[in-house]
Amino acid sequence: MSDSEPGIGTAPRSTESAGGSEADARILGVGTYVPSAGLPREAVVDAWGRSRAPGIDAVAVPAPDEDTLTMGVAAAERALSAAGVDAGDLAGLAFATTTPPLAEEDLLPRLGAALGVPANARTHYAGRSTRAGTRAVRAARDAGSVPALVVAADAPRAAPNSPEGHAAGSGAAAVVLGPGSGNGARLAGDAEAAADYPGTRFRRTDREETEGLGVTTYDRAAFTRPIRAAVDLLGDEGDAPAPSEAAAFAVTAPDGDLPARAARAVGLDADAVSTPASTLGDTGAAGPLLGLAAALREGATPTLVVGWGSGAGADAVVVDGLAPVEGDLDTERELSYPAALRRRGEITSDEPPAGGGAAVSVPTWRRSQPARYRLSAGRCPECGALAFPPEGACPDCHGLVPYESVRLPTEGVVETVTGVSPGGAPPEFARQAERGGDYAVAIVRFERDGAAASVPLQVADAAPDAVAAGDPVRAAFRRIYEREGVVRYGRKALLTAEER
Amino acid sequence: MKNRSVFELSFSNNSFGDGAAERRERSLHGRPTTGNTYHGSGSGSVMTDAYIVGAGQSSFGSFPEETYRTLFREAYEAAAPADLDGDDVDEAFVGTLGVGGRQIGLAGPAVTEHVGLHGVPCTRVENACAASGFALRQAVMAVRSGMADLVLAGGVEVMTDSSAEATKYWLGVSGETEWERMAGTTFSGVYAQMADAYLREYDAPRRALSAVAAKSHANGASNPKAHLGFECSIEDAETAAVVADPLTLYHCCPTSDGAAAVLVAGEEAAASFDERVRVAGVGAASDRVGLFQRDTYTAIPASESAAATAYDRAGVADPRTDLDFAEVHDCFAIAELLAYEDLGFCDRGGASALALDGVTAADGDLPVNTSGGLKSKGHPIGATGAGQAVEAFDQLTGNAGERQLGDPERGLTHNVGGSGGAAVVHLLEAEGVTGA
Repeated sequence: MSDSEPGIGTAPRSTESAGGSEADARILGVGTYVPSAGLPREAVVDAWGRSRAPGIDAVAVPAPDEDTLTMGVAAAERALSAAGVDAGDLAGLAFATTTPPLAEEDLLPRLGAALGVPANARTHYAGRSTRAGTRAVRAARDAGSVPALVVAADAPRAAPNSPEGHAAGSGAAAVVLGPGSGNGARLAGDAEAAADYPGTRFRRTDREETEGLGVTTYDRAAFTRPIRAAVDLLGDEGDAPAPSEAAAFAVTAPDGDLPARAARAVGLDADAVSTPASTLGDTGAAGPLLGLAAALREGATPTLVVGWGSGAGADAVVVDGLAPVEGDLDTERELSYPAALRRRGEITSDEPPAGGGAAVSVPTWRRSQPARYRLSAGRCPECGALAFPPEGACPDCHGLVPYESVRLPTEGVVETVTGVSPGGAPPEFARQAERGGDYAVAIVRFERDGAAASVPLQVADAAPDAVAAGDPVRAAFRRIYEREGVVRYGRKALLTAEER
Repeated sequence: MKNRSVFELSFSNNSFGDGAAERRERSLHGRPTTGNTYHGSGSGSVMTDAYIVGAGQSSFGSFPEETYRTLFREAYEAAAPADLDGDDVDEAFVGTLGVGGRQIGLAGPAVTEHVGLHGVPCTRVENACAASGFALRQAVMAVRSGMADLVLAGGVEVMTDSSAEATKYWLGVSGETEWERMAGTTFSGVYAQMADAYLREYDAPRRALSAVAAKSHANGASNPKAHLGFECSIEDAETAAVVADPLTLYHCCPTSDGAAAVLVAGEEAAASFDERVRVAGVGAASDRVGLFQRDTYTAIPASESAAATAYDRAGVADPRTDLDFAEVHDCFAIAELLAYEDLGFCDRGGASALALDGVTAADGDLPVNTSGGLKSKGHPIGATGAGQAVEAFDQLTGNAGERQLGDPERGLTHNVGGSGGAAVVHLLEAEGVTGA
C-alpha cells in the first residue's frame, strides 16, 4: 500500500474532528440480541454439496415476525437495562442497519416510540454500508447528546447458493453512551479511512440480495487496506491505547476468514477476533458491536472496534475498560435447511386474497401505539383498576374517567392459551404461520401495584404445546402483521425461561 | 287506544306519508278485533303478550346454487301460512352479519322485498351470531309495545361461497378485532382459550366436550334440515384433528348457509293463526367484546344475566324442573358446557357431568339442542337465533317429527353473539300453559 494512492492518504485533522476530549464518551452498557434459531453449516452442505462461506459454522435466522427493528429494540432494551438508564432519559438515539424493513421511511421515530425515548432526542440513522454500526457510534459520540443509545441490527439476504447467502446471518447489538467522565468503558480515539473498491459486496437498487464478484485477492485487499489505514491513523492518537495492544478485535465479519486477515494486517493475532461470525454468520452492521459485546463479556480490554463497509472504507475506535453486557450470543436450536428457507421466506406461496373484515386501519393502529409498543395502560382515578387498552369506561367501576397513564410491567403470567395452525390462522397471519409454523395465542395477566390487566398476546418463538397457563412470560417487540405495505409492530409474549 | 293514535300520528309525519298510514289502516281493519287490544297486569303499562305464530327455516348447509334472498324465501315460506297477506305484516327485523362480507348495507329490505313484504319497514339487526336472536327480541318488543300487531323476525347468512382464505377475513369480525384478532387469535381460538381455562379450573375431562358433540350429532342426524346430519361418536370427536387445543374438529360448528324466519303476533293477531307459542319471557345482556376484557373466562356473564331476566319475567324458579328442553348456543362444545352453567342447569363446574351422564340427551331429563344445535344443524351466523326458535316452536306445537319430545310445555332458546359480547334468552310456552 502506498500513502500516495488516491483515497487512502491522510489529510491534516483538527482536534474537533479527531474526536478529542470534547467529544469523549463512555459506554455505560451493552445489549445483544440473537434470533432463537440457527442454520448449521452441515445443513447447507447437505443441501448444496458444500458451504461457500469460510469460517461460518452456523448462521442465525430471524423468525418470521422479526426484522432489524424488532431485533434492535430487543438489544436496546437490554443495553438500557445493563446501563441502568431509563429510555425516557435518553438525549440521543442512533440506528444502524443495511437491511431496514422499509427502503424509505425514518425508522427512528418508531424505534424511539417502541422504547419510550423522548421525542426531542437527537437522532441519527446510518445505512447502506456495513460500516453503519460504527458510523452510528461515532455520530452519537460526536453529537455529544448523552446519554445516547446506539442500536445496530442487521439481517443480510443473498442468493441461497452464493457465498453471501451461505454466510447471511442476523443479530443486533446496542450500546448506551454516557459522558466522557464517570463509569463505563472509555471510547478512545477515532479514525476512518476510505479506498475506492467497487464490486466487493453490493446490493443493487430495489433488490434485497447482496452480491459480490468473488474476485478473491481483490476482495481481500478491499477489506484489509482501509482497515489497516484507519487503524494506522488511530495509532497516531496519543490518548488512545495502542491498537496493537488490543486484547480483542471487534471487526465487521462478512465471513469467518476476512476478519482473521484483517487482524494480521493490523498486527494482532487471528484469535483476537471477537466478532461471533462463526456462530451467527454475517451480521452486517451489527458485527463490530456484537464483537465488542463478546469481548466485554469475556473481560477483554482494550478492544479495537473496526467497522468496514464495502466501497470501501473503515472506522476505527478503541474501547478502553469494561461495561456491563446483557444478552447472549448464541442461537438455541437448529433449523433444517427447508425450515430455514421457509423461515426467511425464500420459499413461499402466494399472498392470501385481499380482505377487509377484521382490518385495523393505520390511523386506528397508530392511536393505540403506546399500548401496543410499551403496554401503556390506564389507572382509574376512582377505583384504582387498570384498563388495557387505556380507553373507554373503566372495566371495574364503568365510569368514563380520565385515566392516569401507567406502564404495565414487561413480565406477566399466561392465564389461558391455545394454538393456531398455519391452516387456521387469520389471513393476515397466514404467511407468518406458513414460515414459522403453529403459534400460540394467550391471554397474559400483568400486575402492577395491586391491580391487574389482561392482554391478548401471541406467544413468539414457541410451539403451542410448550406454553401453558401459569407460565411466566415477557413482552417483546415484534412484527404483528403487514398490511398495505405498512408493518404493524406490537408486543408479543416470550416464555421467560426461553428468553436469552 | 292511546298507543295507536300516537303511532298513527308518527306515521303521518314520516317520509312514507299517507301511503304507509293507509296500509296500516288496511291491515288493522282486515283482522278480527276484540276491541280491547291492549291489556295486561300491573298499573300504568298496558301490554299484550307476544306469540310466535309461525316459524320455519331453510335447510342449513352449503348451497352454492342459492343466494341470501332465495334462502330467506325458503325460510319465509316455511314460517308463514300460504295465505298470509304481506300487507298484514307491520314490521320486520332481519339479523345478518354481512352475507359473505358483501351485502354490507340494506340486506334486510333486500330480503323482505324479495319475499313480497313490500313497503314493510325492515330493520337489519347485527349482533354477530346473536343477530336474529336479537331480531326476535325486537319483534317481541314491537308487539308488546303496541307498535305492531304482526312482525317478521328472521335472519340469513351465506358463508360458504367464498374461498376459505377470504372467508377467514370476516369470520374474525365477531371477535374483538383490534387486540384479540391482532394477537393472531382465531374465533375458535377464543373459545379454545375458554375451554383451556374451564378444563383447568374444574379439572374437567376433555371427553365432556366430545360427549356434547356426539349428542348434538345424534340429534341432528334426525333433522332433515341439518348441515351435518350424521352421527359421530365420542371417540370420533376425541381423535379428530385439533383445531385449537383443546378443541378438535368435532368440537366446532361448521360455517353454513341458511335462513330462518319467525312470525310474532300480539294476542289479537295471534288468534287468527292455527298455532301459537307464547313468549313467556325475554332477557338480553351485553358484555365487553374481547374475552381478555371480561372478569371470567369460564362463564359468559351476558348469558347468565339474560337468563336471569328471562326467568324472572316468565316466572321460572328453577330451570332444572321448569324447562322441558333448551336450544342453546353451541358454536363450540365448550360453549354448550358454559351454557349449562350460565343458564342454571347445574352448578358451576357441573356441566361436564350433565353431558357425560346423558342428562341433556334427547331422552334425558333436560334435552338440549334436539335440533342438532349449531354443531350439527349448522351455524349460518345471522340465521342461528331465529333457527333456534324454529326448533322450539316445532317442539311446542308437536311438529318436530322424529325429534319430537313428549308434550313439552316450556322451552328456552339461548343465542350468543361473538364469544359473549351479547346474549339473548327466550322462554317459550306451549298454548294453554300459564306460567311456570
